Amino acid sequence: MKWLRRWQGLLSQKPLRLAFLGLVISFLVSFPFWASRYWVDVGFYVGLYALLGLGLNIILGEVGLFNLGHAAFWAIGAYTTAILNVRFGIPTLALLPISAVVAAGCAWLVSSPIIHLRGDYLCIVTIALGEIVRLVLINNPGGLTGGPNGVVGIARPVFLGHVIRTPMDFYFLVWAVVILCAIGLRQLQRSRLGRAWNYIREDEIAAEAMGVDVRALKLLAFVVGAALAGLAGNIFAAKMRMVSPDSFTFMESCLMFCIVLLGGMGSIPGTILGAALVVLFPEIFRPVAQYRLLFFGLALAATMYFRPGGLWPRRRTAEILVGQTER
Amino acid sequence: MKWIIGLSVVLALCGWAQPILVGFQGPLTGPWAVEGDWALKSVQIAVEIVNARGGILGRPVQLVVEDDGGTPKGGTLAAQKLIAAGVKFVVGTYGSMVCMPSSELYEEEGVVHINYGCTRVDLSARGFKYYFRTSGRDDSQARFFVEYVIPLFGAKRIAVMHDNTAYALGVAEDVLRFMKPLLDEGKVELVYYDAIMPGERDYTPALTALRDAKPDIWYYTGYYPEWALLLRQGKDLGLDWKKIKAVGSNACPISEAVKIAGLDAVVGAMITQEPLPAFLVEKYPLAKEFVEAYEAKYGPIHDSPWATYAADAIFTLAFAIEATRSLDPAVVAKYLRSGQVIGEGITGPLSFSPEGDRLGVPYMLLICTEEGKSALFDPAVHGHLVGM
Repeated sequence: MKWLRRWQGLLSQKPLRLAFLGLVISFLVSFPFWASRYWVDVGFYVGLYALLGLGLNIILGEVGLFNLGHAAFWAIGAYTTAILNVRFGIPTLALLPISAVVAAGCAWLVSSPIIHLRGDYLCIVTIALGEIVRLVLINNPGGLTGGPNGVVGIARPVFLGHVIRTPMDFYFLVWAVVILCAIGLRQLQRSRLGRAWNYIREDEIAAEAMGVDVRALKLLAFVVGAALAGLAGNIFAAKMRMVSPDSFTFMESCLMFCIVLLGGMGSIPGTILGAALVVLFPEIFRPVAQYRLLFFGLALAATMYFRPGGLWPRRRTAEILVGQTER
Repeated sequence: MKWIIGLSVVLALCGWAQPILVGFQGPLTGPWAVEGDWALKSVQIAVEIVNARGGILGRPVQLVVEDDGGTPKGGTLAAQKLIAAGVKFVVGTYGSMVCMPSSELYEEEGVVHINYGCTRVDLSARGFKYYFRTSGRDDSQARFFVEYVIPLFGAKRIAVMHDNTAYALGVAEDVLRFMKPLLDEGKVELVYYDAIMPGERDYTPALTALRDAKPDIWYYTGYYPEWALLLRQGKDLGLDWKKIKAVGSNACPISEAVKIAGLDAVVGAMITQEPLPAFLVEKYPLAKEFVEAYEAKYGPIHDSPWATYAADAIFTLAFAIEATRSLDPAVVAKYLRSGQVIGEGITGPLSFSPEGDRLGVPYMLLICTEEGKSALFDPAVHGHLVGM
């Protein structure tokens, strides 16, 4: 595994990093033009799970809050899109930010009372949260969610007069959102806020003693993470053209958890890599049919055994802050 | 001229050797893996039967199997995979929510998609050209009761009872919907329509009301624990189950009702049920052949109507392609939509509405015999049990 570390070391050099980034971007852009429709669809799901993983990465990776109910926010985003589009005819793409805002609002509402819980206790409550949201959706409150049948007939998104319908269109939609979010999160990581989050993760008491508003920042992490899940929910609903409670099971929350752990806590490229693995593993093991989840589990266990810090852990570098006066 | 004959012989041989690819999409993993497994085995047996008879248009059928894990996401990936494999005819899948996004992909690609385990009514209301289902819909049971069971007994006074659960209420409302023309013409009369509370011990008040309504037939659309208690307490109350035909829904397995209520209360009671292979063998020769081949290979036949419908999807394709002598999905789909009976499958005559729904009613009426077994209702054999 030394080569991986060396590889990461190489990437810290700016020209090499830019070259690598260019390579990745050109691969992402050219991919749908030479890959089959099936692989383009797989690429779409990698993007979708990367978005979900990035959201959870803020909560789990940056702040270290165990959240095993992230699928709930995904579901809220998807149902917001579905209900507002089907009932009120609001264009699906216009609902992209609205879904994020609604998911973020719900996250603020439900996590305010539980945010003081620590470690496994928070984990248990978030599991319950995920289940509660799913059960509420099944029970069809006010005839809005359609119960177990879900909501169907979501309109296709239209971008500048172009109807987004083929796997390629969706591929570009989701990856555009992922890349924009990744850039934003990268800026956030290097900001005062990002450092405060990491501080809380490493030592909450010390952070509080230094004047960091732990409660508000933890809440903010939940809100931002849920907003990203809301975005993913919107895109998922648009792609499926229907939503139903069985898409947002506990298993999905676990998968997102795996993505962040596999990739490396707090690492943006790691999370995207983790999403790729979590989506690709079951697809690669398709030929072994009923054993594919077994192989999937084995692969996860092996990865965690050989690289406990994740595949692409965030490198701890001393960030040199150049103050105004020194310039 | 010789070379033309030679070429055509070679071409014919190539054509013969080239298998026809048929896709199968089903939940081989996930919560419905058992249903997926049964369906796959049934489809494989159906393919073996078709191939043993010389294949379709003289070409063997080859299955391309894809697992969808029982999730909408898995469904789209499996569908893309099948489309990428060049499949033009697909059998699948189980679960309406899985089917919905996959069927859109098949429709866009012009792939004939025959569903076997999705009963949501609005699946066929999307104006699709390539979508079909060999199974019934959520309202098929109610329709079967109104269009088959009521005329069978010449019932005039109808009683419908449900338990306010989503399922039972849905069936009861569908019964009313299908019965509306009959009610409007005054051919039948709805003398009782009410709900009971599930989970109670004493249903005497409801049964007294039922007795006073003097129905010819009483349809209970809820689940078996209450149905068994109703039958028992009704008998004790002096309701004559020969005068009032007692019919339960498919959520009322007769064996369970006998265990709870005792044989004397349940004998002669009937239920509406999707066709199970074990009962179909008496009626259709193809079902007999299918069940024998299945049991020879995999042991006792499953009791899943959905897996049986899956096998029938293969026969639907075989009949339609043979009849049109075309492998063009558009031609086959157009022919299937015509509404004519294209052949007799395992679950009876196969024909489809222009929307792609299975025509005819693929349901059956089972009766509890004197031995406490379920049997396909036959007026000649079981008539005396229900006072016919």
